[in-house]
Amino acid sequence: MARLIGEPVETHTDRDEIPDAFIWRKRLYRVVEVLSCWQESVDWWNEKPPRFFVRVNARNTSYGTYELCRLGDGWFLHRVLD
Amino acid sequence: MSFVHLHVHSQYSFLDGASPLDRLLEKAQALGMSALALTDHNRLTGAIRFYRKATALGIKPIIGAEVDVEGDHHLTLLCKDTHGYSSLCRLLTEAHLSNRGREPQATREMLRKFRTGLVALSGCSRGEVPVLVRRGKIEEAVRAVCFYRDVYGDDFFIELISHPSQQCISNSYWLAQFARQQLVPVVATNNVHYADREDYAVKELLNAIGRNIPVDQIKDRRTTEQYLKSSEEMACLFRDLPDALAATGEIASRCNLELELGKPRFPRFDIPAGETEYGLLSRLAYERVLAKYGSLTPDIRQRIEYELDTINRLGFCGYFLVVWDIVRWARERGIRCQARGSAADSLVVYLLDISIVDPIAHDLLFERFMHPLRRELPDIDLDIDRKRREEVRDYIAQKYGTDNVACVATINTYMARGAIRDVGKALQVPQEIIEEACSGIHYLSASQFREHAASLPELKKSTIYKRTELDSFFKLCAVIDGFPKHLSVHLGGLLIGGGRLSDLVPLEWSSGGDIISQYDKDDIEQLGLVKMYVLSLPTLTVLEDTLADIRKNHGVSIDLDNIPGDDPAAFAMLRDGKAIGTFQLESPAQREMAGRLLPDRFEDIIVSISLVRPGPLKSNMDKIYLPRRHGKESVTYLHPKLKNALEETLGVILYQEQVLKVAHDLAGMSYAEADGFRRAMTHDRTTEEMEKMRGSFITGAVRNDVSEDIASQVFEQLAAFAAYGFCKAHAVAYAIIACQTLWLKCHYPAEFFAAVLSNQPMGYYPPRVLVAEARRSGVKILPPDVNHSDDCYTVEDGAIRVSLKQLRGMSEDALGSILSARMRGSFISLRDFVLRTNVSQPTMENLARVGAFDSLCGREELQSQLLILSGLRQKTGRGTMSLFEDTQPEPVHTMEAANDNRKERMLAERELLSLSITAHPLDYVLLDAGITRMKDLYKSETGKRVEIVGSVIRYQTPPTRNGNRVVYVIMEDGTGVADVTVFGDVQEKCGHVLFREGWLRVTGKVQRRGPKALSIIADNLYPLSLEPADSDGPQPEFHLNSVGSCN
Repeated sequence: MARLIGEPVETHTDRDEIPDAFIWRKRLYRVVEVLSCWQESVDWWNEKPPRFFVRVNARNTSYGTYELCRLGDGWFLHRVLD
Repeated sequence: MSFVHLHVHSQYSFLDGASPLDRLLEKAQALGMSALALTDHNRLTGAIRFYRKATALGIKPIIGAEVDVEGDHHLTLLCKDTHGYSSLCRLLTEAHLSNRGREPQATREMLRKFRTGLVALSGCSRGEVPVLVRRGKIEEAVRAVCFYRDVYGDDFFIELISHPSQQCISNSYWLAQFARQQLVPVVATNNVHYADREDYAVKELLNAIGRNIPVDQIKDRRTTEQYLKSSEEMACLFRDLPDALAATGEIASRCNLELELGKPRFPRFDIPAGETEYGLLSRLAYERVLAKYGSLTPDIRQRIEYELDTINRLGFCGYFLVVWDIVRWARERGIRCQARGSAADSLVVYLLDISIVDPIAHDLLFERFMHPLRRELPDIDLDIDRKRREEVRDYIAQKYGTDNVACVATINTYMARGAIRDVGKALQVPQEIIEEACSGIHYLSASQFREHAASLPELKKSTIYKRTELDSFFKLCAVIDGFPKHLSVHLGGLLIGGGRLSDLVPLEWSSGGDIISQYDKDDIEQLGLVKMYVLSLPTLTVLEDTLADIRKNHGVSIDLDNIPGDDPAAFAMLRDGKAIGTFQLESPAQREMAGRLLPDRFEDIIVSISLVRPGPLKSNMDKIYLPRRHGKESVTYLHPKLKNALEETLGVILYQEQVLKVAHDLAGMSYAEADGFRRAMTHDRTTEEMEKMRGSFITGAVRNDVSEDIASQVFEQLAAFAAYGFCKAHAVAYAIIACQTLWLKCHYPAEFFAAVLSNQPMGYYPPRVLVAEARRSGVKILPPDVNHSDDCYTVEDGAIRVSLKQLRGMSEDALGSILSARMRGSFISLRDFVLRTNVSQPTMENLARVGAFDSLCGREELQSQLLILSGLRQKTGRGTMSLFEDTQPEPVHTMEAANDNRKERMLAERELLSLSITAHPLDYVLLDAGITRMKDLYKSETGKRVEIVGSVIRYQTPPTRNGNRVVYVIMEDGTGVADVTVFGDVQEKCGHVLFREGWLRVTGKVQRRGPKALSIIADNLYPLSLEPADSDGPQPEFHLNSVGSCN
């Protein structure tokens, strides 16, 4: 199951600009494993660049799988996967 | 072997692949990949060129296709060997041909039938197994796997595609699990649709075009991951499934297809028992010698033996017999049919009656057509009476098998206009912008039209190409430049297989209902298949129709093979520029050449056809040849050894055959070597290659006692000539037909023009110009008449009756009902016509307006009659009552119809027939005294400034010597035709007028390039509109109003 979230998160990224930690609802999540990265096409005909997604396993009190999406200079938590 | 991409789409997936083959292969090479597959949708169109290009780059090509199978699923198939290739060709053929008018689809039976030598991957997300697993239909998935394993055995793999995305979280995980449970091996692919990630937008754009939807409606598969990923990227994606990665190399090592390219493959010809192909061909050739030449001289015997031996050694006997049989069959049925092109260089071709050109009389060289050193396969092109070409095609299909005969395909690709329209539609660009961007763009590439727009005078003033908000739109148009859109039938190209064509070439339906190859002519040639061109030539239909009419009207049977080749009256007509309607001689350039060359014999026609071509004109050959032809300059040769080759053309090289003779006589080459030399010079070559050829030519010449200096000069002439030379055999074949049309036009103009007009579209001029020319030739033109006109133009007492077909809006049904009703008797009244035909009221009104009922009743009666009679038809239920139930006659129009005056009639003729029968519009214009009518232009002195007015027939922009564009405008004013030349400065000045249809006023100077060759060098063009004048007087008039000017 996946829950759509769509909330901005504060992130800390590594040298490849992949998040290694993020803060969501005032809680810190440390990225344990980057599962995959990908891009998805959006309205390129309106000159919008493709969106960059990263799926990670992250730990707070327990492990979980999260999808983060970069929009402009900021990051959003796109989905939480159970 | 490391990772290999086994599922790759190129632009030959037709609007689903965003990269050309070169881009994919370059990327694969850059990534260090040793093998690459090509798996386009349902077609192998790119396969042969992919095979060649990949091999040249040292990349192992794996040929395959992603095939649509029943249930709307996909299946990826790869060829292991030639058996696999043949299976795939046959599978694709059956999938296409069994679904005429629909998308191709392979059934399970077909998969089972054509399985040998194939590896099957379960396909993309639309594959049967992935779909069933995704939907949780595991039992059905298991059954599907059983089927595929049963068909393909160990060559069936579950295809895993890992495109991480919002939608696709765990599909490949579950699919991999399922595969393990079923003990089916897995393989990793990336379902590649473009070389680089950045091309995803192009793929989506093409998808939108292909699906005919705006691009913002594409909701599915919006990934950017379908690019040619590196081995490392793929390894990362499949790090948990190393066996899926390893399987790619394993499958690639199983695929070892080796196509035998270049090996000739001939159609088989059934020969009588006890006879050989060679024996039969030889017998047929010798049988005709006496009829053609009266006796078998040693020279003729030697030539026949030489040709037969060459044909036999190259394996072409069967091919010659196939063509002979087609021509024989056609001729026996009275179908006019003959060879064109270099085949007419062959004596055997002449003796078999395939060609009408006598190669001995015209001193033609067989080696120009074929010889053992020639690498390309020669083919014989046939011209056939257009009306009866289908009969010939049907015969070929019936004789050699419908599964063994197909038309050659041509790949239609995007150019500027198509790209602007399709991309604009997908991006929802307003239609008026699309129209504006397309207007004025003709035959420009999609990647360069903006550059041209900045330099072409007629586009310069347009601001549309500079609008920044359209920049990305135009850039996308440029990106798809040259992308394939669809396959269509190549004009006349026909393939006959050696048994079953689909073993070698996948076939499909064209939109017009022909069976076509999936390969174009170049790939067909690579496969070694000998093609022939069965071309329809409307002029042959004109000859037949004219002869039939002459027989009917004059009781004379004319044998065109025996008309005089130098008929004085016909040649006088040609010299006077009265060649409109004739074959090959009617274009402005040819008419001008006739005025300069002043032809008086058959050989002049051959010269004229060869000389009026971009190459010779660009090289000033006309300026050297014509003074010699008129005795104003003496004929000289650089070396006496050239006389034999060049004497017939007064020392000037005009024909390709002469290059062979020069290389033979001067440099001592054999004719076969000389043809290789000519071909090498024709193609693009490097400086080193050119120097090598120069070296061998000069060495040979020096050995032959020719000085190095002379040899070098001759070589330069040959090198310059090679790019444009014309095949004399072809010129002779067309000169024969040209002379036949010239003779018929001269002596039977009514029958000739009736035939030309009946066979439109053909030739250079529209019907209104042909009708005017017929009238100038002394033939009266009669308006259409419901009791006299036919479905073609006919001759009545020496006059031409306009066809009912010429009327705008005349349907086949309506025409058929008129003609069939008339078979039971002429119409005796309008009432009779209404009751006995199915002609709609609008068409009847049109008939009335052009005077087609004039023989039935006075025009003033028409209005009331039509109204009453249409009501009568409703009451009686006869005719097409339904057509009248909802249609009320429009009194205004019929009032016009009834208004019997010449002006209205003339307007109706222009509007509804596109002709001027009663009068020409300019007859009603009070022209300024300074305007010269075209019939009087010849009286004007050279250099005199003239002003003409007329309607545009067409524009031409032939290549020029210095590359600067010259625009030729051909105009008519009812009294004649004028040729106007517009040079660069005037194009700049009048850019917005150029390529405009309609009426023009032109001022310029008279130029004479020969005794009877006249044109006008324009200094200004003015667009005009023809508008009725407010006139109360008895003679209504028009005004020609200026609608702008240059300056």
